[in-house]
Amino acid sequence: MNPIDRYLQLETRRQFFSRGAMGLGAAALTSLLPRGLQGATGTPEELGLPGLPHFAPKAKRAIYLFMSGAPSQLDMFDYKPGMADWFDKELPESIRNGQRLTTMTSGQSRFPVAPSIYNFEKVDNGHDGAWISELLPHHKTIAGDIAIVKSVFTEAINHDPAITYICTGDQLPGKASLGSWLSYGLGSENENLPSFVVLNSTWTGRKEAQALYNRLWGSGFLPSQHQGVLMRTGKDPVLFLRNPEGVDAKMRRKMLDSLNQLNQGTFDNFGDPEIQTRIAQYEMAFRMQTSVPDLVDISGESAKTLEMYGPDVNKPGTLAYNCLQARRLAERGVRFTQIFHRGWDQHGNLPVDLPNNCRDLDQPAAALIKDLKQRGMLDDTLVIWGGEFGRTIYCQGKLTKETYGRDHHPRCFTMWMAGAGIKPGIVYGDTDEFGYNVTENPVHIHELNATILHQLGIDAEKFVYQNQGLDQRLIGVEPAKPVRDIMI
Amino acid sequence: MPAKTTFVTIILIGFCSASGLLSAAPQTTDAEVNFSRDIRPLLSNTCFKCHGPDANTREAGLRLDSQASAIEESGAIIAGDSDASELFQRLISDDPDTLMPPPESGRSLTPEQIELIRKWIDQGASWGNHWSLVPPQQTVPPPVDLPWKRNQIDAFVMHRLKENGMQPSVEADRRTLARRVALDLTGLPPSADQLAAFLDDPSPTAYERYVDQLIASLQYGEHMARHWLDVVRYGDTHGLHLDNYREHWPYRDWIINAFNQNKPYDQFSIEQLAGDLLEEPTRDQLIATGFNRSHVTTAEGGSIKEEVKVRNVVDRTSTFGTVFLGMTLGCAQCHDHKFDPISQREFYSLFAYFNSLDGDPMDGNVKDHQPSMLVGSEEELNTVKTLDAQADELKRSITTLVEQWKYNEPDDPPAVDPQPVQELWIDDTLPKSGISEGAWTPTAAGGPVQMGAVSFVHKATGNQQYFLQNVEQPWEINDQDELFAYVFLDPQDPPREIMLQWNDGTWEHRAIWGENLIEWGTKNSPARLFMGPLPELGKWVRIAVPAAEVNLATGAQVNGVALTQYDGTVHWDAVGKLSHVPPFPANRSLRDWIDESIADQGKRLPAPLQKIITQDREKWTEVELAQLRKHFIRNIYADAQTVIEPIERQSQSLVKQRDELKSKLPSTLIFRETEQPKEAFVLERGAYDQPKEKVERAVPATFPPIPEGQKNDRLALARWLFTDQHPLTARVTVNRFWQQVFGVGLVETSEDFGAQGTFPTHPDLLDYLALDFQKHGWDVKRLLKQMVMSAAYRQNSAASSEAIAEDPANQLLARGKRYRLDAEVIRDQALAVSGLLVESVGGPSVKPPQPDGLWFVVGYSGSNTVRFKKDMGADKVHRRSLYTFWKRTAPAPQMNILDAPSRETCTVRRERTNTPLQALMLMNDPQFVEAARHLAQATLDTPDANPEQRIQWMFQRCLARPARADELKTILSASVVWLQQFRENPERAKQLISIGEQPASDKYNPAELAAWTMVANLLLNMDEFLTKN
Repeated sequence: MNPIDRYLQLETRRQFFSRGAMGLGAAALTSLLPRGLQGATGTPEELGLPGLPHFAPKAKRAIYLFMSGAPSQLDMFDYKPGMADWFDKELPESIRNGQRLTTMTSGQSRFPVAPSIYNFEKVDNGHDGAWISELLPHHKTIAGDIAIVKSVFTEAINHDPAITYICTGDQLPGKASLGSWLSYGLGSENENLPSFVVLNSTWTGRKEAQALYNRLWGSGFLPSQHQGVLMRTGKDPVLFLRNPEGVDAKMRRKMLDSLNQLNQGTFDNFGDPEIQTRIAQYEMAFRMQTSVPDLVDISGESAKTLEMYGPDVNKPGTLAYNCLQARRLAERGVRFTQIFHRGWDQHGNLPVDLPNNCRDLDQPAAALIKDLKQRGMLDDTLVIWGGEFGRTIYCQGKLTKETYGRDHHPRCFTMWMAGAGIKPGIVYGDTDEFGYNVTENPVHIHELNATILHQLGIDAEKFVYQNQGLDQRLIGVEPAKPVRDIMI
Repeated sequence: MPAKTTFVTIILIGFCSASGLLSAAPQTTDAEVNFSRDIRPLLSNTCFKCHGPDANTREAGLRLDSQASAIEESGAIIAGDSDASELFQRLISDDPDTLMPPPESGRSLTPEQIELIRKWIDQGASWGNHWSLVPPQQTVPPPVDLPWKRNQIDAFVMHRLKENGMQPSVEADRRTLARRVALDLTGLPPSADQLAAFLDDPSPTAYERYVDQLIASLQYGEHMARHWLDVVRYGDTHGLHLDNYREHWPYRDWIINAFNQNKPYDQFSIEQLAGDLLEEPTRDQLIATGFNRSHVTTAEGGSIKEEVKVRNVVDRTSTFGTVFLGMTLGCAQCHDHKFDPISQREFYSLFAYFNSLDGDPMDGNVKDHQPSMLVGSEEELNTVKTLDAQADELKRSITTLVEQWKYNEPDDPPAVDPQPVQELWIDDTLPKSGISEGAWTPTAAGGPVQMGAVSFVHKATGNQQYFLQNVEQPWEINDQDELFAYVFLDPQDPPREIMLQWNDGTWEHRAIWGENLIEWGTKNSPARLFMGPLPELGKWVRIAVPAAEVNLATGAQVNGVALTQYDGTVHWDAVGKLSHVPPFPANRSLRDWIDESIADQGKRLPAPLQKIITQDREKWTEVELAQLRKHFIRNIYADAQTVIEPIERQSQSLVKQRDELKSKLPSTLIFRETEQPKEAFVLERGAYDQPKEKVERAVPATFPPIPEGQKNDRLALARWLFTDQHPLTARVTVNRFWQQVFGVGLVETSEDFGAQGTFPTHPDLLDYLALDFQKHGWDVKRLLKQMVMSAAYRQNSAASSEAIAEDPANQLLARGKRYRLDAEVIRDQALAVSGLLVESVGGPSVKPPQPDGLWFVVGYSGSNTVRFKKDMGADKVHRRSLYTFWKRTAPAPQMNILDAPSRETCTVRRERTNTPLQALMLMNDPQFVEAARHLAQATLDTPDANPEQRIQWMFQRCLARPARADELKTILSASVVWLQQFRENPERAKQLISIGEQPASDKYNPAELAAWTMVANLLLNMDEFLTKN
């Protein structure tokens, strides 16, 4: 009998999962071996972890547009008309309430209010309407498709800990990223592509951009095959994809045929099933050499589609290009695509840098929603947009009628979600007249992550991995419930 | 519908554990249930969360981690009577309200597990402390009747096999063994000579001799160090935010040397944990303390120091726990440990040993985050010392001169010559304090510079601004001050307008040149003062405006300046003000100087003198007056300055020489304790800003206490680890080395020996080895030799499908271990068999090639590791992988793809996965292709060989064995096809053989070399090559 089948006979799958078995080894075995064998022996009966999804998922896949540096909610979505009268006036102490500040502004003698200089328009979204700034004209056309959440908050106040927190559930390095959790839990629907793909974008906003870190898409304590695969621009969209110069597909095929024979001989001698796996993985690598170039080749896209995403769509690495790629990845069953876009850290000179970054974002993001919708894919594709925290109403640095900057603000910021069972056309949560504190329906970033998992059919509190004697969860130790109010 | 299969999903069997699957099988027999092995883990996993050590989450006051509570006090368990035991009845209840564990907890027990608990209760509910907290017991190796046994390890292994009705395997053949043990002890395959000598050695001790040679080689220390680098989370960058370069490699070299010198493990550990506290520590003992400095650090703007400090100390404390205690101490950072007897208070008592670093928790983005030390030759360090001493001598002579100066107050001091004084705000660098905005890009070498080393070049489209603001010491405006800057307008790309702007609380002070397009301020006011057309292009021009004209009156405090341009390229340099009021007018008379200092309230004086000068002068003491006089003579008095200045210049030049020398010497981070220990507190929920009660240094009560009669510091803590009755140190250590040699530890969870960890597969063997290791002076080389000399280690790793079915994870060792090699070993092996490997030991980390852009796509623009630049030369790119530069936010893909950790945190156990990305890398990475080509060249260098012989030669190099007939046939037929293909496509052949550091020599036929390169590429991808067999 196949050793794996024998192994599985000994324990029911559900027990395995809920018990978390004994640390890394056994848990990994539970999740991986059954799937691992597919490559060698045939078709799988199920995807991902046994017992998952926990319930019928609304989303089969997700696309996350991550804005690194923290976009200014006050100039994009969180409209504060009353602030016009507060120009250069001190932010009332009752609002600031002794809150922790970064040491970049904690030494400032004044906290003058900097109203947004941008015009907002109340756009019909099928419900109560949504205020959207002039920086995002294309977003106005998808207001009826997205749920704008104005009351997201976090505890971290500096970039590195904050982005690590929202992407991995902890402020310190070492934990598994959202996408790697999904890959681990749900597997992929495409044998020729990774289940978690990361796309990094170029940007035109503030040049001095905050860093990204491999840990943001790393697998932490999860087995490393779940880490996000960075898709690159250029000739090798996946690292080392191309054969060496001079070697063509025919030669590579010959090499693999010979390799398979040699490895089969080793298997006959040693009996180690891992050898069968290796043979399967080399074959998969060979298939990727065709499937990945097909993926990134957009010559088959219609002119109309390309036009939707805007003029940058033909420039590899732009947000427009990456949004189109994300749709193509989603079409091919990739479980989770995360796009990173940098340059949103507007400490000063906001009116110069923010419009540039908004221009990078606006049309492509709107096009992605429309494109998914016209293909009927928005029903089962979850799209998330946001950054690691928000920005302050008070000015950092120079304040004039024309220019200002904003410091880090973890106490409230705006994100939006769309598709896959998320209510379209709503605005959820609210903040005070200064956009400083949440006044209604606060959503902690853990709850946001729980919501993402929920739409993919996962109960975040039960999605556990045993590591270092702890039940590791994406949402941390404390309970965090999904935000049911924004679900259909 | 597309086939629904998965992408990357496979993990080595050898790595997986079927925990309990093959234990002594208490589930199926009436054998006595072992509490520690069988019951405690069940209770821990299912019950402790609500009925465990953490008092805050304990339900119904019941704790099941304590015999007293579970049996005596609560009566939840009635020993010998499961029917009467509430605990058992709850496990089998039909009522969801009373059922335990509660269904909503997501935890449950299988019927077999419940049965086991019943049996345990009925057998008398014997209790015991968690196994790993009881000191190792002297165990007698069980008698073995088979000749198979070679040393005591085998007695224990054999015993477990017999219990399970299994048989060990025969010894692997010599070639397999030769490769296996060389890879395990040195991380490299045997050289051709080494292999031949071993194979030809007819002596019965040939294997032992071979092992001794390997252990004595320098490559042994490198390989051992490589494992330790994961443990200590070594990196060549700080790891957070900017992730700048950190110079720390002398510590890495210390580790290599320590293993090669076979430093006893107790000393090895004590020096790393507390070398700085040893009496008169040597240079090397200080380098060793880099252990506690290897954690990630940050200097992110806006970070709160205390928070960063707490994070650093928590990392040191947790790492200490994982490495030496095998305990997940970090769990007790926010609350009492849920599973193990470590309270939150106890965590902070351990924290208190690690919190007194004499240095800033923020790394300042510099490579030598203090405390650090220079590591140079004795001569170099002596020169530094001498220069220091000479400079000090000169400084002392100035002090003496000042002290002995006979100052006479002149009756009529001469008038001061009012020379204008230029004060620069921006020249080469920006002021250290305050914030700046915009990328202040220095001009490239050769670009225009007005003053100093560089200017700043700004390119703009539209209106673009660079500014700095909130500098700590504002610049005071004096009467008739003039504000200026130098500009050089690019004639190829001139701006349309330039503007200077100052902030004294508001920015409404602007001076403009050019088209007046920038829409800030009211036209023709001091907020938008038009100065005239653009200055001349292509040359440095000084632009200036009297301060008063932009509404900056005398006494205004300017805290920032902005440089703005509309379009174009502008070089900016030397921004400042020109003052017609000399800063120190009274440099001829002490009396006048004191008068003036009183008048301006000592604004220009250091704080202590300022304090004096602002007091009533009638009350000055003699001492205070003398201080003022000294300051005047030392810094102000013109007559004295003419004597002092030359000495000072000389001293500065010595300091400069010293700094230049120092900048060439490597440095390394070390630990230095503050003179007084810093206080430590329990932190509520681990939050830095919520200190509760103060704690003293102490080890958790569950352990034997620190012996008295010594200072209770880190050194005492380190020594405590190696006291006789310590339950964990030896076990944890022996287990980690076992894991290194056998692929999986006797305790699989080598990072966790607590209640949630796995029970040892061979508990008696673990105790035996632990005590033996202790008894023999913590001798690491001896321990490793003991392991590789055992029959258990030397077994053949082939297995029938029945044997695999019986023990898929090979926990009981009925056969040799077989698993994929680590990332470093795979790369080093390829370099070694191809003859490329450069075997020099130690030195700065190196950057072998990696695909473009991997750092750039993630890096902070201002980081000094944002751009990867490949090193040149074989001595850099063909070094062993442990010397590869480790950027922690983006480690080398050759390491990362093959499961090397990021080294952001302590890792004592790597995973082993099997993915298509690995296949792509091993087939296509230029470094591996280059290795293949060199292996091909080497075989072609053998004259007069036929293709079969060439294949055999290569095969033997790679796998230490000749190819079998079928293998030979497969390879030969492929080589013929490739040769044909490359002959038809000579261009392709040339492309393939030119990959790598140096192009192939002309002496090879390109098509032939290319075909053989493909053969080598094939061999370097064989499962057997990537695997330890």
